[in-house]
Amino acid sequence: MRARAFTIALLVVAFTCLFLPVANAYVDPGSGSFIFQALIGGLLAVAVAFRVFWRRVLGVFSKTRRESPDSS
Amino acid sequence: MQDEPQASPASFRDPRGFVFTRDGILYRQISHGHAPDYDRLISSGLYQELIDAGSLIAHQEVASELALSSDAYKVIRPERVPFVSYPYEWGFAQLRDAALLTLAVQSAAMTRDMTLRDATAFNVTFHHGRPVMLDTTSLGILEEGQPWVAYRQFCQHFVAPLALMTYRDVRLGQLGRVYLDGIPLDLTRDLLPSRTRTKAGLTMHVRMHAGSQERHEDDARQTERKAFSRRSFDGLIDSLRRTVESMSEPKGKSTWRRYYDETDHYSDAASAKKEELVERWIAETDPSIVWDLGANTGRFSRIATAKGIDTVAIDSDPFCIDQAYEDARRAGDEHLTPIVSDLTNPSPGLGWENRERSSLDERGPADLALALAVIHHLAIANNVPLPLIVDQLARSGRAVIVEFVPKTDPKVQRLLRDREDIFGDYSEAAFEESAEERFAISRREAVADSGRTLYLLEAR
Repeated sequence: MRARAFTIALLVVAFTCLFLPVANAYVDPGSGSFIFQALIGGLLAVAVAFRVFWRRVLGVFSKTRRESPDSS
Repeated sequence: MQDEPQASPASFRDPRGFVFTRDGILYRQISHGHAPDYDRLISSGLYQELIDAGSLIAHQEVASELALSSDAYKVIRPERVPFVSYPYEWGFAQLRDAALLTLAVQSAAMTRDMTLRDATAFNVTFHHGRPVMLDTTSLGILEEGQPWVAYRQFCQHFVAPLALMTYRDVRLGQLGRVYLDGIPLDLTRDLLPSRTRTKAGLTMHVRMHAGSQERHEDDARQTERKAFSRRSFDGLIDSLRRTVESMSEPKGKSTWRRYYDETDHYSDAASAKKEELVERWIAETDPSIVWDLGANTGRFSRIATAKGIDTVAIDSDPFCIDQAYEDARRAGDEHLTPIVSDLTNPSPGLGWENRERSSLDERGPADLALALAVIHHLAIANNVPLPLIVDQLARSGRAVIVEFVPKTDPKVQRLLRDREDIFGDYSEAAFEESAEERFAISRREAVADSGRTLYLLEAR
């Protein structure tokens, strides 16, 4: 009886261990940040391009438009 | 006598450019591995550009015989900063300015094909009233197609605490004292109120970023990294800048900010007398650095800074420190460094061996400390016995200007209103007796009709 209780306890412990979160002490903590930048990179590039475009559009409609050094 | 040269306990993590002291002078050794990066910094003109903008600490190259180890490519001697403050001691506006400085340095670096390899807030301190980058060797050559290696650090050290201070509570700035590598993004996400979901910058740089970190934390496979275009890089820095700029000074209650507005505890004559005595005794002691303990918004600190003396204004109220900083910036005061620290629980030594970041006491004593209208708060509101208060004064300043506020004072009466008076030994006589254990009492003057007394204590 006691041996059976012990076996069950052992099985429970072993089973629990299967579902313990895996510690990843050797994975660079920054890898998620790297991958994330690659994901948002395209979006950020479009945002910058749009802002440059929008500034030009505003420039066209601005009455006080002056020759800016980068408009050439 | 010459001291043994010593590597700084704060910079052992980066062998490319560590800091050491020799004969009390601070140097930085640049290793051969970092030589191409250092040469690019100088030859590209980036160094000069950053110095002209006041963004980077200036240095001089010195003889390489001064190196601490054989791997030295160069040895540089950075300009001395009289008091190095840490991010967890800054108010909101200081942290925000430090974030914008970091991004400005990154933008300038990118125009010369360089980048910041790390972006911890500890790379920045305040000097001449402005944030300045201390770590010359964090600037390296930009590898084309690589994303920003310091992105995670920037988000954890700047975006996270600024967001928590703005949208949750300004006191959360103190979390930086626990999380020296920046506030974890998943924690930040969980602490931020749900109304911040509408903020695009925070959604991207905190919420989605935290999600990506969690998804990939057990990602052991080598991920193929797509090239990160220069336009994406510009977009990233621009987006971070907008996110930081969108966060403004948090609102909240401050017990102390209006302290000097309440006129009930000082007559005009007493107020003028106190200022006159402080000014005269500062001139007499001729300090090169002053600590103002319990500085509030820095009213008395400004007497010292007006004389061109570097002054650290210390107060536990982040709103007061914010106000002191904003006032100093507006006035062009280059000598004030306001910091948030509670005298009853001052900044401790932190990090590896508790030595990476110095405690407040280790950064002292100053030549002169001011302890004006602060003793009664320590003694009565915080139950600190007078001899222990005097010990702390001795750790803070070689000389101290102390204001003693007697029990009959309305302010002390207010502190005693709701509690039993267990402070039988709180008296001028007892204070003088304690003070004489550690100092010589050089001056003693009544503050006009206020019943308060001002002392100048000097080391024997």
